[in-house]
Parts: sequence; structure tokens; C-alpha cells
Amino acid sequence: MDLFDRLNKLREKGLAEIAKVKNEQTLNEVRVKLVGRKSELTEILHSMKDVDPDKRRDIGKQVNKVRDLFNHNLDNVKTEIAKELAEKQLEKERIDVTLPGRATHVGSKHPINIILDDLEKYFIGMGYQVVQGPEIETDHYCFEMMNLPKDHPARDMQETFYIDTEDLLRSQTSGDQARVLEKFDFSKGPLKMVGPGKVYRRDDDDATHSHQFMQMEGLVVDKNITMGDLKGTLEMMTKHVFGQDRKTRLRPSYFPFTEPSVEMDVSCFNCDGKGCAICKYTGWIEVLGAGMVHPNVLENAGIDSKIYGGFAFGVGLDRFAILKYGIDDIRDFYTNDVRFLEQFSKEER
Amino acid sequence: MLVSYKWLQDFLELNKDPYQLGEKITRTGVEVADVKHPQEGLKKLVVGHILDCTPVEGTHLNVTHVDVGDEEPHQIVCGAPNVAAGEDVIVALPGARIADNIKIKKGKLRGYESNGMICGLQEIGFADSVVPEKYVDGIFLFPTDADLHPGQEVFELLGMDDYIFDFDITPNRADTLSMEGAAYEVGAIIDEPVKVEDVALKADGPDWTDQLKVQVDSKLAPKFYLRKIKNVKIGDSPLWMQARLWNAGIRPINNVVDVTNYVMLLTGQPLHTYDARAFESGQLVVRKATAGEKLTLLNDHEVDLDPNDIVITNGDQPVMMAGVMGGLNSEIKEDTTDVILEAAIFDPTLVRKAALRHANRTEASSRYEKGVNYDATMRALNMAALLLRNDADGTIAEGIITGSDKKQESVTVRTTVSYINKVLGTEISSSEMLNIYKRLNFNVEVAGKDLVVDIPARRWDISIPADLVEEVGRLYGYDNIKSTQPVLPETRGGYSQTEDVIRRIKSVVQGQGLIEAISYSLTSSEKAVTYTKTPQPLVKVQMPLNSSRSTLRQNLLTGLIDAAAYNMARKQNQLTLYEQGRVYDFAGDTYNEHEHLAALYSGNVYWDNWQHENEQIDFYFVKGQLANLLLAIGIDLNQVEYKAETISGMHPTRTAGIYIKGHYVGLIGMISHEITNVNKAMNGNEIYGYELNLDEIIPLIINPKTISKAAPKFPAVDRDLSVLIDQEVTNQEIEDLIKANSGKYLIKLRVIDTYQGSHIAQGKKSIAYRLTFLNRKDTLTDEVVTKAMTAITDCLQDKLKAEIR
Repeated sequence: MDLFDRLNKLREKGLAEIAKVKNEQTLNEVRVKLVGRKSELTEILHSMKDVDPDKRRDIGKQVNKVRDLFNHNLDNVKTEIAKELAEKQLEKERIDVTLPGRATHVGSKHPINIILDDLEKYFIGMGYQVVQGPEIETDHYCFEMMNLPKDHPARDMQETFYIDTEDLLRSQTSGDQARVLEKFDFSKGPLKMVGPGKVYRRDDDDATHSHQFMQMEGLVVDKNITMGDLKGTLEMMTKHVFGQDRKTRLRPSYFPFTEPSVEMDVSCFNCDGKGCAICKYTGWIEVLGAGMVHPNVLENAGIDSKIYGGFAFGVGLDRFAILKYGIDDIRDFYTNDVRFLEQFSKEER
Repeated sequence: MLVSYKWLQDFLELNKDPYQLGEKITRTGVEVADVKHPQEGLKKLVVGHILDCTPVEGTHLNVTHVDVGDEEPHQIVCGAPNVAAGEDVIVALPGARIADNIKIKKGKLRGYESNGMICGLQEIGFADSVVPEKYVDGIFLFPTDADLHPGQEVFELLGMDDYIFDFDITPNRADTLSMEGAAYEVGAIIDEPVKVEDVALKADGPDWTDQLKVQVDSKLAPKFYLRKIKNVKIGDSPLWMQARLWNAGIRPINNVVDVTNYVMLLTGQPLHTYDARAFESGQLVVRKATAGEKLTLLNDHEVDLDPNDIVITNGDQPVMMAGVMGGLNSEIKEDTTDVILEAAIFDPTLVRKAALRHANRTEASSRYEKGVNYDATMRALNMAALLLRNDADGTIAEGIITGSDKKQESVTVRTTVSYINKVLGTEISSSEMLNIYKRLNFNVEVAGKDLVVDIPARRWDISIPADLVEEVGRLYGYDNIKSTQPVLPETRGGYSQTEDVIRRIKSVVQGQGLIEAISYSLTSSEKAVTYTKTPQPLVKVQMPLNSSRSTLRQNLLTGLIDAAAYNMARKQNQLTLYEQGRVYDFAGDTYNEHEHLAALYSGNVYWDNWQHENEQIDFYFVKGQLANLLLAIGIDLNQVEYKAETISGMHPTRTAGIYIKGHYVGLIGMISHEITNVNKAMNGNEIYGYELNLDEIIPLIINPKTISKAAPKFPAVDRDLSVLIDQEVTNQEIEDLIKANSGKYLIKLRVIDTYQGSHIAQGKKSIAYRLTFLNRKDTLTDEVVTKAMTAITDCLQDKLKAEIR
């Protein structure tokens, strides 16, 4: 048979054989058989010595061409097989990404502290120092210095937790005002502070009363502080907490440590002032008490009330949280039911 | 104080919309909590005259025929016990609306047609507490002398066409606890003059002042006046007066008692009437009660008097608790003829405390405790005497007995226009200010720059310039004050350093998945010092609400364990809680407060999951979390030591004290079985926790300075070391020895395995460590590391008799 014919036949047969290969093992067998040292191709090459030298070159060329073709196709098949294998492996590795992950509790801040932190940050931005005083307070700082006379109802044993005749659990954070005022050096600038903390009153716990709750006190004292400043400060703060579109109003009120004294109401955020159960059909919700620092409070701390004056305000943080989150029982803050507390994790800021 | 709009019209020109007026009063003077219009929502309620009344046999019903002004009388079936022919009554006609929005329709009762309904006062919206006693369980009968005709609407007759303002009065504005005071306030607000009438009284009976010897301690009662009214005829008050009383929330009783209540509402001065028979002794003494004395009050309660209660006695026994409530033994009864009328002022604090002590706050005591107008006492006495003559046909005996008569000094306050403007931040002109004081009926004299303001006795809340600022501010209108921000030199806002660190700590533990709790600071004396290594002297409150809230806590864990019990009782066993707050003690003879942090863990690390991959929370999990916290806030863990300790409430063999540089800073461990076993919900749960005294830790980490080091350029070398050792030897002891003998290149030491059991000798355990060595400046040679390892193993063998495996 003519070597050319033989080569052609081999090429057809070889390509057909390669095309049939399905796995690595047969691939190797086919590779040895077609292009190995003992392959027919090699045999053809060896038998060239019997061929006419003119044709020898052509045949050599052809043989190399066929070998290259075989190798090329074998490589293709090899890649093919590897790809298939990889695909199979990946399919094996497939997971259902919609199954849930292993979850733990999400940490969360207590709702009262969420309100407190937000207010603290707000006032720090306005240049206020955050000051904390003792919870075991003296009658002197809690009441005497704050202009509450001896027979004031708040100083009754029925109202305030006394520890002994002089020491008590503070019923208001106002004592912090007296402590700061007493030490403050006005030559170093004006006084701007907020004082948050726990306070205690002798109330039986029910849905609207708690013997322990949280307050935040604010105090600004310098030479030219006005009631207009108080109004502006409170308006901005209440809008920050309850929404920029809220309306506010000031009402005359009474606190022994301020004169004039006012309370601030915001328009009801539930009914927008139309009247509903939350605002007791008044359209307004009381949110805080405030006023111009009573001259006696300044004088008691050794500050000349003819030169210095200022404003003070107090907010009930429990009340803010109750209003903001629509909580209907103040005891929920202190029973620490995880199902209640956990819902505030998203409020974290 | 319930203030009637119509009654106000006695004093001033008033034609404003009542609801708008209420809002104006709220913004300017006193908070008006509510404006009520009693007839609102009601209709077709008319006067009916009962022509006849026939009982329906076998029932409690009567068939009546009632003239309601129509051509034909209405037949109405009525079940009230006091229905009778000849009476004038309230009739709800068919189509009427009565209280609670109920509609009245024609109907049939026991076969009898009923065209309407005869009403009791409650059925048309009256509170039980104001309905005259005899009409509480029946229909209302108009007084026989009332000026009315059948078919007339009842609203005006009963005062229901009025508008009632609910004044929510702050303690300083007790001047508005009277109609006259309210009128002055409203007059000032709407800028209308107020007419308050004076009383001119001419007695028409003989002098009585020698009939009673009166002895008054003027410290207890600075003012004390008495009059005698003879020959009164007890009956009902005129309807108009009853209507004013019930609109003010007071139940009409009889024409004597009603007069005292009426004049109290009018003037703010509480009054009292005694049956003169109570003073047959010829003596009246005002004094403090003596221990053991008893008095039965008008509300039928017998009280044990306290030595700080003021009492009125007849020289022999108490007949009244002064300023609070009269005694049953001096009550005005049906057969009373002669009445002693008292107008007095009692010590506000003593009255307040008496009312509180006996849980009996009354209209009178609530006025006394806030102060009353010294100018009103005599006027109120005479006004009541006149009304008693008028309403009860009495004769006023000549003369007033004065037991005490302290005068009050008049108050004058000086201020300036510029001071008031400076405080308010306004530019109000002096004429505008003078006008405001005129509206308030304050006399002002202008002396140069000064305003000299005479304060009337009815405004005893005003005594200093700041009070005058308030009067101008509120009447000028807080709405009219411009909102500004304080113009001040810049100040630096921020937290204290301590507070900054605490906030960092809280953010770390929250990141670890802990939920913040807040517990009560007050707990029981026992819980206050459980979970506490060294209990300090307790801080207790004098009058606790109950024994479980009597003592200030010395640890936070107790609150978290209460929370765990609460949650576990609700099947919430997967708990990760923390609290940051203060603990309190009385160490060193002084009250101390310390900032603490406590965490509580129970359940598994993960929620139950479909992979069933989980890990029960144990001591070492919690310890790892704590170590991460300490690391995150800048504590060198090499300085932290854990020592097994016994602490009350904690598991005796699974608890450690935590020490930093030798100082005790807190504890970590499992809650003891004694605590968890006795609680049904907690039983069987392993609860772990730690508590740190932040006051000890914070000073160690304020201003941590990190000086950056480049990442190492040379590789580290790990060597493992397995030690067989006596069980009693702790990991800490081994680690200490390894660290002390490792040379200078050991940078990390970890426990990678422990074993105790059948494969090794009894009483022994095996611990394996991985040691990491690093030389930052050079490649470590095998030789150097081996030398270090040899030093370590030699020492372990020598000091701890360890066997190296």
C-alpha cells in the first residue's frame, strides 16, 4: 500500500478514535497508540527508508502534520475532559444558599439609653459637657440648694427614699446643677452642661409609675442668657427628637428651682394635633419642664444673680422613650424581657 | 379646680368662645386640662310634670301620665322607686339622646306603651359622686319652688348649658382655687376688669360672744373666726346653687353645708359649720391631738389621732380634724337649729401631713396645704352668714368671736423694665409692662428707673423680681418671645474620660451580641451582697416600698439573674445579657458608688440550627469573650490572672476571681446550683456570667497609646510541647513557668489539648501547648529554639515533676 494511502487511513481512523475518547485513561491509551514511540505513525516514519528519496520529504511532512493534528485533538479532548470533571465537582459542591445561617443574638442597647445617647450627642455637638453626679445625694444638694423649702412635699419621707436624715436617693438630677455651679469658674467661659442619670421616687410601680427612672438635666449660665434662648434651645431639641415638622408651645408652670417656669408641649405626632387617645384629645403632648434658673439657686451656690443668669431644663428619658416607641407600660424598661429589648437592635446608632 | 364659664360671667364681661379661651388660659396662666360642656351630645330632654302614677301589679313599675308641654300628656312607664304624681322630673322624649349616646325610642313595657323615659341625673351624664344622696338610686325631682314649666329644656335649669374648665393648678397658683381668683386670672388674660363684691352684714340676733370660751394656739391657726346662726331650717339649697356645686364636682348636701362649700368655691377660704349642740360645754379649744385620742369623721371612719394632727375640741373631746374633715359628733343634722360657723386658717404643713397620714385629702385640706388668701377669711365668714340667713332662714347672732387674728405683712417688690427685658430677651416698653400689671390689678409706682409693685394678698406666690418677670412674660405671651440661640464664646462639649471608656466597653460587648438590660438599683438585703466577693456595709432606705426593694445592690449580677428567671419562665433560655451601672456601699463610713459591668450567658452559642452544629455556653466560652473584651479595651492579657475562688451565689468549683496586676477587679463563673435549683424555670440551666469593677479597670486604660510596629519580616517558629503532670497543678502554674524560662523570643503560648482519663495514670493529666517563637531582627535558628525548649522542659521536670511526652 502506498504510504500516503496508509497515512490517510491512519489519519481518518485516528481522528475517529480520538473523537470517541470519554475519559483520561482511554485518552492516555489512545495517545500512546497514535503518537507513542510504538505507534503506527512512528512505524511509517521508520519505513520511509524504503521510499523514494523524492517522496521521503513529502511523507515526512505529512507524518508530522498528522502527528500535530493528533496531538492537537488529543489536547482538546483532554481539556474537554478536565472541564467536565471540574463541572461535576462543582455540581457536587453546590449548596442551597437560601438555607439560613447559624445565628446568634444581635447585641442591642437599652431603649432608654438609645434616647439618652442621641440627646447627649446632640448637646455635645452644641458645646455641652456631659456631667454625672452621685445617685446617693444629700438633702442639701438635692433640695436645700435647689430652693425647695424644708416643708416641701418632695422632701417628705413618703415621696423620697431617705437613707438617713441627711442622705437620700436623689429624686431629681437637679442636684448636679448645684454641684457644678458651686465649683464653676466663669472666668474660663460660660457653663453649658447636661447631666443624665437614674433618679428614684417612692412611687409604687405600675404602668405609668416607676420607683426608678432616668432623667437628663440641662443647664446654661452666663451673663446674658434669655428666655428666648431657652425657647430656641428647647424647640430645636424637641424637633430633633420628635420630628422637624412638630409644633411646640410653652405653658407657664412651676418648679422651685426656676422662675419663670414653663413646660413644653409638642403637637401630637400620632394625630398631628387633631386629638386622639395618646394626647388625651388635646392635640398636645407634654414633653419637658424648664425655666430661668431661680436667683436663690445661683446665690446658694455663691454666684451673683444680679450678674449671672441662665436657663435649666429637665427631660424624663423614660417618657421620651415611651412616646417615641409607643410603649404602654413603663415597667417594660426594667423587667428586661429579651423579646422586648431585642427589637431595639435596629435603633442602634 | 373645676371653673364654670357662666359663674365667671358674674365677675367679668366674657363672650369668648370657651374652647379658645381654654387654650389661651393654658398658654398664659393655668393649664386647662379639659373643657366640658355637660349638655354636649344630649337632646330632647325636657321638664315633665307627673299628672298621675299607677303601679303595675306584680312589678316595680309605674304607669305615669306626664305633662311635657304637648297638647296630650305622654304615657311613660317608669321603674324608679321615687316616682310620684305631682313631681317635676326630667323627661327624655322619643328621639332623645341621653348619656353614652343612647337614643330613646317609643316602646312597650309589660304591654304598656311608653312614650319616653323619666331620667335620673346619672342617665344624663352626671357622675355618681355629685348626685344628691336621695336621687342616687332614683329619678331626679325638681325642687317644688323651682321656676320652670313643662316642656322646657332642662339644660339651663341644671347648669348643663355651662362650659366647665378643668384647671390643672401648679402649687404656686393656689390663688386660682377659687372663682374669684380664677376671675382675676382670666380678667388679666383677656384684659377685662374684674368686679368682686364686698359684703355688708347687719346681724339680726342678740350678741352671742359671751356664750363660748375660745382658746386657739395661733401657731396652729393664725386666723380663727366664729359666728353663730340661730334657728336655721335644714332643707335643700336653691337649684342654681346646687347646679354650681355639682358643676364644680361637689355633691349638694343641705342648705347649711352647701353654703360653706359654695363660699369656699367662691373665695377659696374653707369654712366649717358645727351643730351648736356640740359646744354645750361652753368651750372651744384648738390644739394638737394627744396620743390615744380618737375621732369619728363625717365619712364614718374612726381615726386614731396623731399628736401632730390639729383638732378642734369642745374642751372635752375632739369634734373636728382641723382643716381636713369634721367629726360626726358635731355634724349638721335634720334637726339642727343653731349653727356655729367657722372661718379659719390652719398651718399648711400640719394640715397636709394630717391629710396624708389619714389618707383623707379633701377640698379643704388641699386648699390649706397650698395656702389661702389672708384677705378672704373675714369676707368668707360674713358671706356665708348672709347666705345661711337667706337660704336656711337663720338669724345671725351679733358679734364675731376671734380666736386668733394674725396679720400678714403686705409685699412690695422692686424691679426694672430693663431687668425684665434682659431675662425675657424682649423689648417690651414700660407702658406695655405697666398695662400688664394693671390687668393683674397690681398697683405700680414708677420711682425713677424702678417699678415698685404692690402685691395683693391673694397672690402670695409673688415675692421677688423674678416672679414679676414671670407675670410679664406669660401675659405678654411666651408665643410672642422670639426663639434665639445663646450667643456665647465657644465651649468644648464632650464626655468625661471615664465616660468615654465606659462607652467603648459597652460598644464592644454589644458587638459580642449582648443585650443591654437595666435593673432596679434597690434589691433585697440578701441579693445586695450575693455574687459579691467582699460584702461591704449595706445601704438601706428608711421606708422601703417592700423588702425586695430595700437595699442598694453591691453587684449587678443579681439584677441579671432576676432577668434570667423572668425570661426562662417565659421559655427564653437562650440568653446573652449585660448591664452597665452603679453599685453602692457604705465602706469607710461614707457612701460609695462604683461603676460596674456584668454579663450573663446561658444556652448555646448559636440558635438551634438545621446543621445541628452548636456548642453549649460554658465557662471557657464566656472567659474567651471576656478576654476579647479586655484585649479590645487595651488590657495586656499577660497581666490578667484568674484564681479559683468561693464566692456566695457562685458555683464553688467553677468560679474565679479576676486580678489585674494583683488587684481584684471582678469575678467570672457559673451561677451556683443553690440559686438555679430553687427556681423552677432556671432549674437545669447552666448560667454563666462575669462582673467587673470598672472603677478599678478604667484607670489602667485611660489614654492607651499604640506605637505601631511593622509586621515581622522573619518567619515565626512553632513548637509543640506535651506535658504529663499531677492533676492538681493548674495551667496557670505551668504557663508561668514556661514564660519565665522561655528566653526572649517566645511571643505566644496556647493550650492546644488537654487529656485526663484511662490512657494515662490515675491522678495525672496531660496538657499540650503550642509555643510560637519569633526574632524580629533575624531568622531564628533551630539551635536557639531548641535551647529555649530545653530550658523550659528542664524546669517543668524539675519544679513540677512533669513528664515531657
